[in-house]
Amino acid sequence: METFVVGVLSALSLISILALVSVGMAIIFGMMNVINLAHGEFLTIGAYTAALMTALTGSFWLGLLLAPFIGAAAGLLLEVSIIRYLYKRPIDTIIATFGVSLVLQKALELIFGPSPIAVGDPIPGLIEILGTSYPLYRIFVILFALAVLGALVFGYRRTNLGLDLRSAIQNPDMAAALGVDVARTYRIAFATGAGLAALAGALIAPITATVPGMGLPYLIKSFFVVIVGGMGSILGVVTGSTFIGGLETAFSIEVGGAFPQAIVLVLAIIAVRIRPKGLTPA
Amino acid sequence: MIVNFVQARANTLNRGRSARFLILISLVTVVAVYPSWGSYYGLTVVRDGLVLGILALSLDFLWGKAGLPSFGHAAFFGLGGYIYGIITLHLDPAFASIVGVLAAVVAGALVGLVLGLFLLRAGVRGALFLIVTVALTQISHQVATSWSSVTGGDSGMIGIQPLGVGLFSKNFVLTDVLGQYYFVLAVAVGLLGFVWWICRGRYGRILSAISNDEHRAQTLGINTTIQLTTALTVSTAIAALAGALYVSMAGFMVPDLIGLVLSIEVVMWVLVGSRGSLIGAFIGTFFVWRLSQEVSSFEPRLWPLIIGAFFIAMVFLFPGGLIELARKAGLPFKQIRKGRVPR
Repeated sequence: METFVVGVLSALSLISILALVSVGMAIIFGMMNVINLAHGEFLTIGAYTAALMTALTGSFWLGLLLAPFIGAAAGLLLEVSIIRYLYKRPIDTIIATFGVSLVLQKALELIFGPSPIAVGDPIPGLIEILGTSYPLYRIFVILFALAVLGALVFGYRRTNLGLDLRSAIQNPDMAAALGVDVARTYRIAFATGAGLAALAGALIAPITATVPGMGLPYLIKSFFVVIVGGMGSILGVVTGSTFIGGLETAFSIEVGGAFPQAIVLVLAIIAVRIRPKGLTPA
Repeated sequence: MIVNFVQARANTLNRGRSARFLILISLVTVVAVYPSWGSYYGLTVVRDGLVLGILALSLDFLWGKAGLPSFGHAAFFGLGGYIYGIITLHLDPAFASIVGVLAAVVAGALVGLVLGLFLLRAGVRGALFLIVTVALTQISHQVATSWSSVTGGDSGMIGIQPLGVGLFSKNFVLTDVLGQYYFVLAVAVGLLGFVWWICRGRYGRILSAISNDEHRAQTLGINTTIQLTTALTVSTAIAALAGALYVSMAGFMVPDLIGLVLSIEVVMWVLVGSRGSLIGAFIGTFFVWRLSQEVSSFEPRLWPLIIGAFFIAMVFLFPGGLIELARKAGLPFKQIRKGRVPR
C-alpha cells in the first residue's frame, strides 16, 4: 500500500512536470510545426533563474515568479532573430535551433561552471497521505502544474488570443485575410511555449541537479509526449505525459537503473506505430 | 536551329559531367597520394574521417535520396561497432574479424528491415520518423551503458582486434596505418560508387518520386513502403559497416559512439556537404570534423560554441551546404535532386 501510494504520487509529480514542459512543446512543435531543438534550453534557463535568484536573494519563490518571464523573453528573442525566417524551412530550423542549443549550453557552462547549483527545498517537510509521508514540495508541484494547465486550457479555448492562435494554426492565410496578425500570434505563442518550459525548469530546480545539459532528456521526452498524446491538442499533452511519466515511474520502481527510460521509449515507439495520430488526436 | 540548341545543351551537359568526373578523380587522387607527405597522425585523421564519411554517406542516401530524415544513425553505427567488438573479443582471431564485419552488416540490415516493416508500413514518416530515430539513439545508448556484462558499460571495450584473416596457417592482419588507410579508401570509394550507381537508374527515380510526393508515387503503382524499407535497410547496413570498420581501426568501443551527439553530428556533416549530393557526405564530414579538431586543439571548451554559431550562420549564409555553394560559385556541379523537406 505504501509503495503504491508513493508510486502514484511520484508518477503524478513526474507527469505534471512533463506536462508543463510539453505544453510548450505542443504549442511550438505540435501546433506551429517547428522542431525546436533548443526547447530543452528554455527549461535550463528557468532552472538557472530559480537557482540564481535563490542564491542572490534567498527566495526561491522570486525565482519561480521570474523564470517564465526570462524564458519567454529568451523565446521571443529566438523567434524574432531566427525562427521567424525559417517557418517554411523546417530542416534549417532544426540546424539553427541545434546551434542555439549548443551555444546556450556552452555559454551557461562557461559562466556558471559545469557543476550543479544546489537549490534548497523551498517547502521543507513531509505530508501524511493515506498512511505514508511524502515531500510537501512535490505535492505543491502537482497542484501548481494542474493550475497552470487549467489556466492554459481556458486561455486557449476562451480568450481572443487563443482564438487567434487556433485560427492561425488551422489556416494561416485565411486567418490573415480575416484580420489576424499571424506573425504576432506566432511570436506570442512561441514565447509562451518557451516561458512554460522555463517555469517547469524553475519548478524542478529544487528536486534535480541544475546543470547546463539538464534540458536534453526533457527535450526528447517532451517530443514523445506530444506525438504519443497527439499533435496539436492540449488534452494530448495530458495523455502523453501520463503515458510517458506513468510508465517511467512504474518501471523505475519495478526494474530500476537506466533501463526503464529505454523501455518507455520502446513502448512509446510502439504507441506511435499503433496510433500515428496520437492517443487523443486533436 | 533547335538541333543546334540541343547540341549545345548536350555539349555543356557533357562538359559538366566530365568536369565533375575530373573533380572527383582529383579529390580521390589527392587522398590517395596524401600518405607520401602526410604524417602518421595525419593519416589516422584522414582514415577515421573516411570511415565517418561512410556513415554520413549512409545517411545521405536515406535522407537525401529517399527523403527519410534520421537522427539515429549513430545507433546503427554503434550497433555495428559493438557487434564487431563482442565477436572479435570472443572468437578465434583467424576468422573473427570477417565474421565480425559480416555480423555487423547483417545486424544493421536486419534492424533497418524490422524498423521499416514495423514503422514505415504504419505510415510513420517525416518529423515523426525523425523523432523515433532520436529515441532509438537514446534507447541504444542506455542499453549500451546499462548492459555492462556484454558491452562494458560506460568504460566500453578495449583491445578489439583489427581486421585480419588467417589463410594457409598465416595471419594477414591490417595493423599498419597505411594499409588501413588504403583499405578504408577503397571501401569508401566502392560504397560511394555503389550508392551512386543504385541511385542513377530506375531505383533512384523511384526514390526521387517517393520523396517528392509519396501519394503520387503510389498512384503510379510504386509500393512506396517496400521501396523505402529497402532504402532504410541498405542505409543501416552501410552505417553498421562503418561502425565495425571504425572500431576495428580504433581498437576500442565506447558508448559515445552510439550516442545522440554523434547522431546529430552526422546530420550536420550531411547538411554541410549538401544533402543528396553523396560525395558531399565525405566533404562535409572532413570539413566539420577537421574544423572541430582545429578548434579543439587550441580551445576545447570553445568548440561547441563555435560550431553552434557556425550552424546558425550556415542556415542564413549558405543553406544548401558546401557543394551548393560551389555550384553557385560556378563550379560544374549538378543541381542536387533531393527529397522534399519533411512536414
